[in-house]
Amino acid sequence: MPSTAEPAPPQEPWYRYGVIVLCLEMLIAAAVCAYALYMTFHGHGGFPGGRLSG
Amino acid sequence: MKRSLRTHKVEQLILATAGFFWCFLMWFSTAAFSPSIAAHYHLGIQALGLLASSAIWMAPLGRMVAGWAADRFGAPRTFALVLAVCGLMSIASAYTHSYELLFAERVIVATAGVSFVIGIQHVAQWFEPHEIGIAEGLYAGTGNAGAGVGALLLPRIFGTSYPSAFLWLGMIALALAAWYLLRGRAAKTMERRETARRSSGFKSALFVWSRYIAIALMLAYAMSFGLEISLNAWLPGYFARGFHAQILALGFTGVAGMQIAAGTFAAVQSFTASLFRPFSGYMSDLFHRRGWTPLPIIAKTLPYAPRLHWLGLSLILVTLAMGGLTAAGLSGHLPASVAVLVALGVFISFGTGGTFALVPLLFPERPGLAAGFIGGLSTAAAIVYPLVFADAANIHAGYLRVALVLFVPFVLFYFWAARYERHPEEHGVFLTLAAHEVAGE
Repeated sequence: MPSTAEPAPPQEPWYRYGVIVLCLEMLIAAAVCAYALYMTFHGHGGFPGGRLSG
Repeated sequence: MKRSLRTHKVEQLILATAGFFWCFLMWFSTAAFSPSIAAHYHLGIQALGLLASSAIWMAPLGRMVAGWAADRFGAPRTFALVLAVCGLMSIASAYTHSYELLFAERVIVATAGVSFVIGIQHVAQWFEPHEIGIAEGLYAGTGNAGAGVGALLLPRIFGTSYPSAFLWLGMIALALAAWYLLRGRAAKTMERRETARRSSGFKSALFVWSRYIAIALMLAYAMSFGLEISLNAWLPGYFARGFHAQILALGFTGVAGMQIAAGTFAAVQSFTASLFRPFSGYMSDLFHRRGWTPLPIIAKTLPYAPRLHWLGLSLILVTLAMGGLTAAGLSGHLPASVAVLVALGVFISFGTGGTFALVPLLFPERPGLAAGFIGGLSTAAAIVYPLVFADAANIHAGYLRVALVLFVPFVLFYFWAARYERHPEEHGVFLTLAAHEVAGE
């Protein structure tokens, strides 16, 4: 049975910029993790500490 | 009467995000300087542990009060008050020479962590149902990153001079408080503002706390955000013990080297969990737009049913990844374990983003009360999980145990509570009144 949600109105201009920001954030997360893991698996340091969020 | 205010919802989103980012920076600034504080006051390991744990003390109750206050007095006033109090206390702690007084001041600064639910309420009062996922995701994900930025940058900018850091953090918090008061508007329309204010009584709070769906969302957030912060504390020790030989083989020797390697592996979880959160909001919006409802049992005809399904999928993925973490650990393969951990971080972000894409839609008349209950009580899970992890006979087995003993029942309860095709928020432990009757009080 389909959802009874009404058809969503067209997205406002800000939404596109929001998607760009979230893509940038994911890119930063992937790049920082890849860099830190590469360094660590090659015997160098990675992140300066283990706590990065809350 | 609808009254447009001379501002834009994106400005309100930026205000809330900036305030939350700074609050998280202050929340974890004590941890960033704990080695310097320990060296200055000659603290032992127990005192250091107490200082580290104090950051979370105020969260469960504090967030519930903050959510109520945001509904009652409006998010701008409440957020400005939190920023001002924490800012002033941070400035005071910069001039303190007694450790006992410093500890007390930093516990008060740690109340900055309650700001999360105030911003959730603020954003919910400004954005429409079809865009709430990405709006709340951008707010929470970007703000959460404040803790990571603090850990990375504060020690590099200020070195061991934690009083200077506390002074600057406090002064900027005061400036943000003034900005919030000046430009912040509580809601898009007067009706929304009045509805939230009218619904902030004790009866309303009891109503929210007793709803099956609110309890299910609280457990969902405990499975995601609660797990995220418990892993922050648990994982460095887990990697140092569970993969000791493998880390030695990478060339890390001594306590400091082991700490760097284990800390790095642990950090990928919280980094991905924070920065993928807006993506989860986007996915929730996408499910909503496309009307995807793939799971059984969960309601399919509610206007926000697709969002319930997205969260259900996220919770299943978190549970499976916990089993995967145990399997990877038992195999002794460090890269596999880290890869599963990255996936777990992403799935956790799906859970956190998916939960708060739903809260404002399920409780549109009392977003602060609901956010306070769901975002507050769930943080207590961060205390429970490490106890279960540590209690397992094998250090790798704790994740599977948590998944089977806690997460599977949580997911089943979520499916059960989300099965109602009409007004799931009207089903609860007690108080069978309809939502609008309670709002009228």
